[in-house]
Amino acid sequence: MATKLWASKAASYLRISVFHRGFATVVKDLKYADSHEWVKVDGNSATVGITDHAQDHLGDVVYVELPEVGKEVKQGDSFGAVESVKATSDVYSPVSGKVVDVNEKLGDSPGLVNGSPYEDGWIMKVEISNKDELNSLLDSEQYTKHCEAEDQKH
Amino acid sequence: MRVLTRSLEVWRLGVLNYLEALKLQEKLVTDRKSGKITDTLLSLQHPPTYTLGKRQTVHNLLVSESQLKSMGAELHYTQRGGDITYHGPHQAILYPIISLRDIGFGARKYVETLELTMIELASLHGVKAHAGESGETGVWVGERKIGAIGVRISSGITSHGVAFNIDPDLSYFEHIVPCGIADKEVTSLKREVDSDLPAEELIHEQLISCFVRLFGYNNVIWKDNPSLCDQQS
Repeated sequence: MATKLWASKAASYLRISVFHRGFATVVKDLKYADSHEWVKVDGNSATVGITDHAQDHLGDVVYVELPEVGKEVKQGDSFGAVESVKATSDVYSPVSGKVVDVNEKLGDSPGLVNGSPYEDGWIMKVEISNKDELNSLLDSEQYTKHCEAEDQKH
Repeated sequence: MRVLTRSLEVWRLGVLNYLEALKLQEKLVTDRKSGKITDTLLSLQHPPTYTLGKRQTVHNLLVSESQLKSMGAELHYTQRGGDITYHGPHQAILYPIISLRDIGFGARKYVETLELTMIELASLHGVKAHAGESGETGVWVGERKIGAIGVRISSGITSHGVAFNIDPDLSYFEHIVPCGIADKEVTSLKREVDSDLPAEELIHEQLISCFVRLFGYNNVIWKDNPSLCDQQS
């Protein structure tokens, strides 16, 4: 109980919302795809990664297949893959544009995706070509509801 | 109370060449993604075949490719997770092509349930198997590996799957570092069981039944020797 209280206080300070059911965090001010990728938009630049819910459901990440810098990505298309527990899972780009940077640290430390999915575990940076597409993404509340609905299936 | 029908179509394919099985899976994954077909399970065996996962850990292959050929074995590079492994006759393979989103499973839960499937099969024969510890996904009897897993998940649809050693020629494993784990043995149901094993066909059926039960299917459609040509339409 005390931990939950602390978590809620810390959460509101850090501007994240914690849903107590599974303790997977969802960060406000990010946009989300229903395939569990997040995107942080800053002008025309977007940083992309996978969510806490995603990393929790994947297990310990042992390998991240990064896209090549310069590659064109399209919203909804696969841009790489993540391997965990002998499963490779495709990851999908929430935005369209050109890959301008990838997180090379994931080569030696793929576990950053688990430990810090919204910060150090970022996967790629994209120069967005179509900002209107952001409107089709979910906000943090909608994404939270989406996760709850999915998790109720079993 | 509304009971949801969960249907699984099971294809019993006998011995099928690796590339043909791969092509079939790719077609089924596309069809499953578009909702053309229901969850499907392929039950089969391969002729002697070595496969690598997405990380292409070819350093775990201890012989040259030409030596493999002279043994009558093939080598394939795949997009599945996991390290190098061997498939061959008398090894039961299941390739589930199912929608994880429909059951709300993530990769971890899916793989854990696949492990349970093989653990249950082993227990039907009095063998106490267990899941690997962290990083050693698969099914073990003591320190010996009896079942391997390597899967791919694309848009929430699975492909590749599991390989359970009924009584394969284990010497084929000597030419690789199986699953990249150097100091552990590979075993088979035959080795672990004191008495004679029942017919292999029965063991394949038992594996399928364990899968059906653990994944909660309540409607099973059997498709034996389906014509692979049907899949080109």
